[in-house]
Amino acid sequence: MSENTIGKKGLDWVDKRFPVIDLFERHLSKYYSPSNINIWYLFGFLLLIVLVMQILTGLWLMMNYTNTAEGAFSSIEYIMRDVDYGWLIRYMHAGGASAFFALIYLHMFRGMMYGSYQKPRELIWVGGWFVYVLLCAEGFTGYVLPWGQMSFWAAQVIISLVGSIPYFGEDLAIWIRGDYIVSGITLSRLFAFHVVLLPILIIAVVFFHILALHEIGSNNPDGIDVKQHTDQDGVPLDAKPFFPYDISHDFYALGVFLLIFCTVIFFFPEGGGYIIEYVNYEPANPLSTPAHIVPSWYYTPFYAMLRAIDFSLFGITAKFLGFVVMAAGIAIFAALPWLDRSPVKSIKYKGIFSKIFLALFVISFFILAYLGSVPPTETKNLLTKVFTIGYFSYFLLMPIYTRLEKCKPVPDRVGAVI
Amino acid sequence: MECDDFKSNVSDKASLQRGLSTYMNYCYGCHSLKYSRYKRVAEDLSIPLEMYENNLIYDGSKIGELMNISLQKDDAIEWLGAYPPDLTLEARLRRPDWIYTYLRNYYPDSSRPYGVNNRVYQNVNMPHVLEDLQNSLPKAEYDLLIYDLTNFMTYVADPTAEQRKRIGIYVLLFLTIFTAFAYLTYKEFKKDLK
Amino acid sequence: MQPKSPPNPGRRKFLTYTTSFLGLIGAFFTAVPFISAFKPSAKAEAAGAPVKVDISKLLPGEMMTVEWRGRPVFVVNIPEENTSLVTNNLERLADPDMEDPSQPEYAKNDIRSRKKGLAVLTGVCTHLGCAPKYYPEAKPEDFDSKWQGGFFCPCHGSKFDLVGRVYANVPAPTNLVVPPHFFEKDNLLVIGSDGVS
Repeated sequence: MSENTIGKKGLDWVDKRFPVIDLFERHLSKYYSPSNINIWYLFGFLLLIVLVMQILTGLWLMMNYTNTAEGAFSSIEYIMRDVDYGWLIRYMHAGGASAFFALIYLHMFRGMMYGSYQKPRELIWVGGWFVYVLLCAEGFTGYVLPWGQMSFWAAQVIISLVGSIPYFGEDLAIWIRGDYIVSGITLSRLFAFHVVLLPILIIAVVFFHILALHEIGSNNPDGIDVKQHTDQDGVPLDAKPFFPYDISHDFYALGVFLLIFCTVIFFFPEGGGYIIEYVNYEPANPLSTPAHIVPSWYYTPFYAMLRAIDFSLFGITAKFLGFVVMAAGIAIFAALPWLDRSPVKSIKYKGIFSKIFLALFVISFFILAYLGSVPPTETKNLLTKVFTIGYFSYFLLMPIYTRLEKCKPVPDRVGAVI
Repeated sequence: MECDDFKSNVSDKASLQRGLSTYMNYCYGCHSLKYSRYKRVAEDLSIPLEMYENNLIYDGSKIGELMNISLQKDDAIEWLGAYPPDLTLEARLRRPDWIYTYLRNYYPDSSRPYGVNNRVYQNVNMPHVLEDLQNSLPKAEYDLLIYDLTNFMTYVADPTAEQRKRIGIYVLLFLTIFTAFAYLTYKEFKKDLK
Repeated sequence: MQPKSPPNPGRRKFLTYTTSFLGLIGAFFTAVPFISAFKPSAKAEAAGAPVKVDISKLLPGEMMTVEWRGRPVFVVNIPEENTSLVTNNLERLADPDMEDPSQPEYAKNDIRSRKKGLAVLTGVCTHLGCAPKYYPEAKPEDFDSKWQGGFFCPCHGSKFDLVGRVYANVPAPTNLVVPPHFFEKDNLLVIGSDGVS
């Protein structure tokens, strides 16, 4: 391209006033990612795409949604029937919520597997964890908005949990609801959280998460610090520019993801009742609880933990203890960087205990997810207790087993043989 | 009890039209379809608007309006004991096979106010509105009537299903092509890193 | 590492361009539902459906206001003796021949409607959207000493004749708009449809 094209001149003009070229280089063309990163490193990009999709579809839904107890349910059907392509936008948003959680769980698991939370990436991890917590809140508030039976009773149960806090719990629950039962007043404030407060926080923390990542750079399946070996230009030897090498990979991944996603939203938009629960096609009725009330699939592991606690301890009621355990199940992820005392990052080089406990964690997570989605029985309650212990032992015993086990030596460079 | 298998076919316009006619004659007196519009149903079922307006709108509503009923809440509670629920979304709420089985499983029970009970929905409040038809029609014909009715209710619960699947095919075809090229591009760039 | 240069630049160019092009097409089609969702919904369509008006009780010289799509539509019964007023004033009008397409083709005549003696006009001033007032009689008015009957907009003083044609040298640029209409029966006017389906 010649030096004097209009495009070049325009770019120069902007660049003198805003550092576009510098930003492009710093975050894309001269941002280096390890050469050995694999399929597990694609989910961050996909999460960003889903975030954008949720914001766009959410914006469009909001234009036609009514946030009152009288109007909410029928406004959803208005979107589904009367608004041109409203059904598609809503299915994208509802399916997008499930996709968001599926991807963030995979993304988090990647971090746990390869020790991406370890020094010096503690803040990236904690930021990401905070996004997950906000997303849980976003998912819950969004779930209430259609104001069907599941919406109503989910709000009822979750807000009642707050009531278990000793001394001021009941008053706090009433304060949150703004009413003595979950009502249109509650719906309105959850709506405000869902469409303004939480999205702003999510965008802000995601920005922080990415900025922190770009400062330190990606971890990799070997847990090697690729910045230690550079050539004479300062380019890491075991890394490649994000643009175009990772971007082309990300777009391929996007194609695959969209194939799966569109298959779901165009052919199975209710996801067999997991994306949109059948019971939610009945308008909210404060006088009758549906026979089977379960949370969305992405909360079921934590819901199972809540149910596992059916006993009081040290004078703490079972109700409050269950709430504490459930909250701890989510909160404990944030402590990972300080629980892991292993000298190596990646599971590849960690010892046998780490592998066993990570496997235990995964198994517990899936079994709890299942148990949280089926009606409780005595056997199932016992299993829930066992796997709740399994889940927490991965975290709580980590300072011990990561110090006891024998790790394999980590190579100095990617692909180096020891 | 287990529900009988029901396989809907919402592209069968004749079946939907028969189902609509049964619904309007036997159900619509009490059960509104208040999230749906007359016009949408007429268009989707290929019924000319004028014919629809003259034969299937009873209360002088305009064709573009929602399918509300004139039954008043207080009257219904006095006459029937409860307000009959809207059924627009019934097929999504309870699923079509439930409706299909439910409507074919009324049986005489003198202990109930209307002299009938139901095997699927014990002690149901609703009288057996289709009793005369069930008694006069051969079983196969009655089953077909219920099939058409259930089929219509499946349609009205999810009127975009056909359009959705049609568009879905094109979307997936396009995405397959896009993904193929994205894959080739990715492979192409990867050559630099060998 | 420093990436090697591409083994086959032509192939690379083709693939990158094709993928980017497909991506753009995808983005374009993704925009379609979002743009379509802004169109009037079935609810808005229903609210904007044609309205039927019984004009049997509209006496000569009277005007009735009918709401269609949330706007006033003036239906005026122009008495026999006033029809001459419509044609005796043409030199003061800005567009007496109705060159501007503010009426359906069938209303491009000296009465601007489908029926003699009846004006059907959208009551929204073509200047800034106020509703003009009806002054039917040909007599001197405060705003015009040679008034021949018609509509006067109180907001900025635009003047229209009895069939809604705008006067020259007033702020309103064009004639009052004639909505699509037809007569289902002799006394049953339908506003909002041309009557052909």
